[in-house]
Amino acid sequence: MQTSLPSSSSSPDKPGMKHECGHRADCLKMIQLIVDGEATEQQLARLKDNLETCRPCIEMYHLEREVKELLTKRMEKRCCPDQLIETIKSKILTFS
Amino acid sequence: MANIPEVMSDTPTRDDDQTQQPDSQQPAAETPARSSYTDQQKYQVFNKEFMPHIDSMYNFAFRLTMDEDDANDLVQDTYLKAFRFISSFEQGTNAKAWLFRILKNSFINDYRKKSKEPAKVDYQDVETTYNSEDAEAEHTVDLRAETVSDLIGDEVATALNSLPVDFRTVIILCDIEGFTYEEMAKILDIPIGTVRSRLHRARNLLKEKLRDYASSMGYDEESDE
Ligand SMILES: [Zn+2]
Repeated sequence: MQTSLPSSSSSPDKPGMKHECGHRADCLKMIQLIVDGEATEQQLARLKDNLETCRPCIEMYHLEREVKELLTKRMEKRCCPDQLIETIKSKILTFS
Repeated sequence: MANIPEVMSDTPTRDDDQTQQPDSQQPAAETPARSSYTDQQKYQVFNKEFMPHIDSMYNFAFRLTMDEDDANDLVQDTYLKAFRFISSFEQGTNAKAWLFRILKNSFINDYRKKSKEPAKVDYQDVETTYNSEDAEAEHTVDLRAETVSDLIGDEVATALNSLPVDFRTVIILCDIEGFTYEEMAKILDIPIGTVRSRLHRARNLLKEKLRDYASSMGYDEESDE
């Protein structure tokens, strides 16, 4: 769903591009819903418009995506220690 | 007799959600037993539905407690509770959300008390402030996407760990574990609107931390112009 949206924040401005966003706070909330895959079709369409016409929205969108990706893909994941798995397995055997 | 399969190293995220069954996935230890399993079935459910999530559970526990021993105890307590209350788990529903909810409750009841986390009052102050009108103004964190793309996992982990635990929790559940807002609402026992606003606030705090970190490391020199 995000693939149809612009992928680079450094593309040259189209004519009529706004450099001030009148609804920053609301736009940011909407952008986060979209990045989380929780937005409605209507919100998605609205953001698509904003991404054509509003420079601050474009920048917010790329920042939110980048932060999300950092958390999703670049955090170290630990494995549960084998010892703990063994302990749990043996403890539940003595339960019933 | 109980044959527990090897734990999968990678855990499913949204693929295993069961959003079309709103009530049945409620991971509530206090709800009455819905199913009665034979002993053999209990072990089967435990092995097949619960054990595959153990790495995710361990990561969640470690990120909450930030301590290996506490994470070990918390995961063990959670799995033993899960086994004890297994009859309130309905097969085929969202086991991961059910387990996360038990872990979160154990953390609040048993671990948070003894930790040095700021009291819940502090956090509620933050949330109240956020929800008030004048908080609407402070929404933009001066941080560029390009700067964020230069950061590595360790740096983000440090920033994340510095957030109050309730804010840390929503980011872990949403961004690291891939739960939907609806699942998070159930795991945390809060309305979806609160999930949304807490997440929003948490991300703004995280971005502030990342910005401070980036500027202290000189990653973001252009922002000084
Ligand atoms: Zn805008």
